[in-house]
Amino acid sequence: MLDFGRVQKELQECNRDINLSGISVNPKSDNLINLIGTIPGPIGTPYEGGTFKIDIDLPDAYPFEPPKMKFATKVWHPNISSQSGAICLDILKDQWSPALTLKTALLSIQALLSTPEPDDPQDAVVAKQYLTNYQLFASTARYWTETYAKTSTLGVEEKVQRLLEMGFPEDLVRSTLEAVGGDENLALERLCSG
Amino acid sequence: MVYDSIANALIPTAASNPKEFGKKKRVNRTAKLKQSKLDVRREQWLSQVKNKGFKEENKGTNRQKMVDLDMHARNEGENRPMVKLVITSGGEENDGLMNHYSDWESPSNSPTSHTSSLASNRSVTNFTGSSSRSSSSSSGGCGCYSGSMTEEDDGDDGCLDDWEAIADALAADETKNDHNNHEPQVHDHAPQLEPVETMKDDQVNCNAQVNVNRRAWRPDDAFRPQGLPNLLKQNSFPMNSERNYGCAPWGFKNVGFTPTTCPICCEDLDLTDSSFLPCPCGYRLCLFCYKRILEDNGRCPGCRKQYEQSEQGIASSKMVRSYSMITRH
Repeated sequence: MLDFGRVQKELQECNRDINLSGISVNPKSDNLINLIGTIPGPIGTPYEGGTFKIDIDLPDAYPFEPPKMKFATKVWHPNISSQSGAICLDILKDQWSPALTLKTALLSIQALLSTPEPDDPQDAVVAKQYLTNYQLFASTARYWTETYAKTSTLGVEEKVQRLLEMGFPEDLVRSTLEAVGGDENLALERLCSG
Repeated sequence: MVYDSIANALIPTAASNPKEFGKKKRVNRTAKLKQSKLDVRREQWLSQVKNKGFKEENKGTNRQKMVDLDMHARNEGENRPMVKLVITSGGEENDGLMNHYSDWESPSNSPTSHTSSLASNRSVTNFTGSSSRSSSSSSGGCGCYSGSMTEEDDGDDGCLDDWEAIADALAADETKNDHNNHEPQVHDHAPQLEPVETMKDDQVNCNAQVNVNRRAWRPDDAFRPQGLPNLLKQNSFPMNSERNYGCAPWGFKNVGFTPTTCPICCEDLDLTDSSFLPCPCGYRLCLFCYKRILEDNGRCPGCRKQYEQSEQGIASSKMVRSYSMITRH
């Protein structure tokens, strides 16, 4: 049985200094088992300016077992699967301690973004690129940040404007954007597929 | 009824007359056990005086009451005018005067006096045997006072057998010594104030009203009777741990270092939990979470080191629990 008291308290404490840390945790639905966390990309890294969403599933034994976390936002990083968003971080596995919290775990993930460990990779392709061609890695990571981690920060009107410039009718653009939840790329795909 | 309350209020005042001060000074640190005995004797003596006659007592303490009045006035920073305000209403009923006075003083005094009177009431329930405790109850309320007096009449030797209470009284005395610094100041004021003694009867009545106010003394009151124990130590405890005052030494030491809730399950730490130190790294948690971790990987959440497999921690905490049960009853 999940310790809802602790989870509730963690959510309160985490969202209390959200302005300071930029890290927030919110329930995905009305239960406290599936949560969504957001972390800002660390400044001075290719992830700067992005907002990364992380899916959190709490096991019944939480906090005695680690929370299951994976990136919901696509990210280009040696220790994060570019396909599934799986995170390779020891504190989410064998180094978990009940004294850690969702917030400290998210902070650790944020730290992982700024200090990749290519020698212990989750995504071998990214790790290889990181080691052989750092410039290419950095630009790819920046591109992915721009593409996947910033869409939600753009205003709707901006998206509409850009899709209009591609030649789609305005009413169709608006309805499609609304249907896909404001995701510009998904809307473009749907508009192209007709 | 008013008469009774006046008599009760006067007793702590009488305890602080110059004669008592002299007696105090002769008592050195090595004779503290003796002093607690003296306190018991003094209580008995005071109760006899109280039974014999209120008027004698009243005369004997007039001077001290003057000092009290003046100290009050000085403390309030509203010297003569405020005193006169009270004096002019001297002809009214006693109750009216009392209300008047408490209105005058309550803004500055009430919060501290509330807590300290609480504390003294608690101490009465736990330490009826201790002489210094019972003298504190006299300032807490007249009901508590008379109750403890009869108990001491039953057998004061019995109460001295309560070594825990004596140790506690000694600790209170040690901290009280710090407050002895205040006492010479009171003496310095007393000679200057002697002309005040020529005041008329209604003013005396007014002074009596000062003493009718049966609030607990503040620890830093200059006119606080020396016989009262220092409640500062108790006030620094959280209310729930005050019941188990017998366990004070370690409880006091850990104040500020012990979390109030378990960091794992967020439940309140009870007394047993907060005395439970399973790991040398100092990470504290409740016994439930500790047991749960032992069933799991057995590593301390704070430092990730393996808990020592001895049951020493649990055994010691069980001892503490039984100990606290004893002191509780």
